[in-house]
Amino acid sequence: MTTAPRFRAVQLLLYGGVGLWSAFVLMPIAWMVFAAFKTRREIFTDPLGMPQTWTFDSFERAWGVGLGQFMFNSIVVTTGAVFIIILVSGLAAYAIARSTSMWMKLLYLLIVAGFAVPNTAVIVPLYQMVTAANFSNSLFGIIWVYAAYGIPFTTILFFSFFLDFPRELEEAARLDGCRPWAVFFRVVMPLSGPAIASAAIFQAVFIWNEFLLALLLLTQPDRKTLPVGILQLQGEFTSDWPAVMAGLSIATMPIILIFLLLQRSFVRSLAGLGK
Amino acid sequence: MADLTLDAVEKYYGAYHAIKGVSLKVEPGEFIVMVGPSGCGKSTLLRAIAGLETISSGKMTIGERDMTHEPPWDRGVAMVFQNYALYPHMSVRDNMGFALKVARCPKAEIREAVENAAKTLRITEHLDKKPRALSGGQKQRVAIGRAITRAPDVFLFDEPLSNLDAALRSQMRVELGRLHKQLDATMVYVTHDQTEAMTMASRIVVLNEGKIEQVGTPLELYNHPESLFVAGFLGSPKMNFFDGKIVDVAGKALTVAVPGMPTPITLTLDDDVQAPAFDSTVRLGVRPEAVRVGGDIPASIALVESLGNQTLLYLDAGALNCVEAESSDGFITAQLPSQHRYTLGDTVQISWSPDMLYLFDTSGRRLCTPRLAVAK
Amino acid sequence: MKPTPILKPRQSVGVQIVQNQSVLVLPALLICTVFIFIPAFLTIFGSFYAFGLTSQNWEPVGFGNYVRAWNDDVFWIALRNNIIIVLGSIVLQVGIGTVLAAVLDRGISFGQTFFRVIIFMPMVISAVAVALIWLIILDPNIGILNAIVKSVGLSPPKLGWLGDPSISIWMVLVVAAWQYTGFMMVLILAGLQAIPNHLYEAAALDGARGFRAFWSITLPSLRNVLVVAILITTIGGFKVFDLIFVLTNGGPANATQVLGTYIYLQAFTLTNMGYANAVAVVLLAIAVFLGWLQLKVSRRS
Repeated sequence: MTTAPRFRAVQLLLYGGVGLWSAFVLMPIAWMVFAAFKTRREIFTDPLGMPQTWTFDSFERAWGVGLGQFMFNSIVVTTGAVFIIILVSGLAAYAIARSTSMWMKLLYLLIVAGFAVPNTAVIVPLYQMVTAANFSNSLFGIIWVYAAYGIPFTTILFFSFFLDFPRELEEAARLDGCRPWAVFFRVVMPLSGPAIASAAIFQAVFIWNEFLLALLLLTQPDRKTLPVGILQLQGEFTSDWPAVMAGLSIATMPIILIFLLLQRSFVRSLAGLGK
Repeated sequence: MADLTLDAVEKYYGAYHAIKGVSLKVEPGEFIVMVGPSGCGKSTLLRAIAGLETISSGKMTIGERDMTHEPPWDRGVAMVFQNYALYPHMSVRDNMGFALKVARCPKAEIREAVENAAKTLRITEHLDKKPRALSGGQKQRVAIGRAITRAPDVFLFDEPLSNLDAALRSQMRVELGRLHKQLDATMVYVTHDQTEAMTMASRIVVLNEGKIEQVGTPLELYNHPESLFVAGFLGSPKMNFFDGKIVDVAGKALTVAVPGMPTPITLTLDDDVQAPAFDSTVRLGVRPEAVRVGGDIPASIALVESLGNQTLLYLDAGALNCVEAESSDGFITAQLPSQHRYTLGDTVQISWSPDMLYLFDTSGRRLCTPRLAVAK
Repeated sequence: MKPTPILKPRQSVGVQIVQNQSVLVLPALLICTVFIFIPAFLTIFGSFYAFGLTSQNWEPVGFGNYVRAWNDDVFWIALRNNIIIVLGSIVLQVGIGTVLAAVLDRGISFGQTFFRVIIFMPMVISAVAVALIWLIILDPNIGILNAIVKSVGLSPPKLGWLGDPSISIWMVLVVAAWQYTGFMMVLILAGLQAIPNHLYEAAALDGARGFRAFWSITLPSLRNVLVVAILITTIGGFKVFDLIFVLTNGGPANATQVLGTYIYLQAFTLTNMGYANAVAVVLLAIAVFLGWLQLKVSRRS
């Protein structure tokens, strides 16, 4: 083909563009990891170079801030909130999708309306309510707040999934002797795996990274989640940049690793927001 | 095996009247096929029997038990769905045994029932596969197997063959017939395919706009349709209809003049109907296989379809206009046995064999049907 | 053969465990009411009062808080900054995201997954960590951006990338684009992959290939996805808090103040809770309108 050389040049250009953006994305992350291994002096004298020796000293210092505790708190809060969101939204969406009553449609619209309310806009009363109920610095308390802000979108997601769910399977199950609960738990739930995984990943990413509510509601050091906890690195190590970078590496690497392992599910899940 | 009765069953969806007072008695071991155009209520009726739809009024019994208000799982019915409805997360074995498992039958019994059903349907080697690994025909067998395993009182089929290709469909037709004999079970089968109805049914129920038009054996319906609707619905190609007027009534002999036909036609009134008034409008029906080449009606050939074992001619007979024709041009359809060579535009002379004519009054009710003696 | 009936119809009428289906909706409704609807109502209610962080004394001020916002320069700066972030993010994130998605979808022949994973990666990192990393990268003393700029012979801004009020908001835009462009790319890529291939085949037979096909097939088919992407970016641009709170905390001299950080500042630093509520109501109104728009658009598709 006569167009081959031109075609190759265009390909090269396109690869160059995508490669450039990838480098831009990777550089800060790579720099964070390298800086964590540098000494304080190296950071000043040779900001762009590689570390001279690979020691884990700064990681030890950073861990001392309580990163383990923060991570544990994040895991507890994320797991708890995602579990509630999936269960509560799943039941609600299924009931609404299988109902023909006008009332249920109205309830659905009400829940959906919650999707539009950003927590940034209602933090003042939210803070006062949670404090008044003595739920500040309580992981159990913030789990419910997070659940609330995840339920509307998850309900929308599940609702459209259940609408598309083949009705015949449920009918076949009823003829096979299943009561309504059994239809839900023996046929609908086992087949909702991908939808549940999608919703769970989506909510987990958001809750794991949530900052504002955690900043306001979890002030006690042993109750902080990771996003709030790592903020402490800055204050703790005023000029110990390697320690800050080590702390950030510890905080971000697990989620990056999980993402790399499950990237297909992550991408599918988050791209679902565009539907 | 049990009998099934429907007594004045009505179904409303809001203001829409889907089932208009259907009564039917299905004898034990019968293979009932319900046919009708889409929207006639046949699927709704089947789902009502299954308990998947509630009925607005009326009564339904299976065996001796009133099932009108029983939930689907207590009716002793099994259903084969159009798109199989196999549980994708279960193996074929688990699909077929699911009902028994839900009923907490002993494992050994489930195993035996599943394997017997699989043997009957020749799907034993697929028992441990997942549904997605099966072809359409195999899926359909599993769906039927799932019903057989339960040994229900009544089998329900909702257009089970419509997703299969033509060759597989005729094969499954034969097999379902064999299965019916083998199981000796009561079956209710819904389809829009008249071939399935004609070939498999003990009796056919023709439904139209939520009402039963006629119930009878396939040949009863074909030879003696109670209404214009049944006459037009069964038979392919469709019956030719012509509008005419009664020009003479002499006892049982009715003479009909049809515009465009050179001579009036005389038919014999059926024994159980009233003779129509002189000069009343009637509709004459002629099966395509009753159209003969040779006669006194000139017609030009508009289209020829050579099917190998038969030849279909679409004929333009000028003033003799076919009403409700398959083509909107008012062409007459003729079905000739074996192969013939015709050229488009040629004119042929046609006539009807007099013993294959039907006559209906303006409300579509039967006046005359042919006296055919079915060879035993 | 005739199988013996194993499964006898049960004699009892099946009991529906849930008589009223709406019971299943109640937990969701209850949680949302307590933590979303009541706070939203209280935000509006509280915006007509003046009160402090812990004070029991609520002083009714009518529309006083709104009048105050109208006359408050910082409020307008914050709102303007939100709009700058929204528009800049649409250009950068949706714009670059679309180009990257198009290249990944049909432009390059291998390595799509590799690039997609890398470019999407920042999305899963918390905005706080992102802000902290960039804080150090942009640091005037030890930051690598300074080092890079110096190494090519240019001089970096004297006050620092985030310290110079005329530059800082643009730096925020860059960091936001770093984090979210991959998300937009993936969103749009999903839309691209949903375009049936036979459309391109038909276009090729009509002589449209390359850029021509992109213009006449891809973009029109992508319209809905792009609208959703723009709406998501817009909503995100108005809600932004974490990134700015950590990067600049609204500074220098309110140059990067946005509604989110301003609400926080008024409520929890200056303890003007009533006034913070009034600013929050503005944000709430914008978000509800945009959210309604998003649901309307996505339901149509």
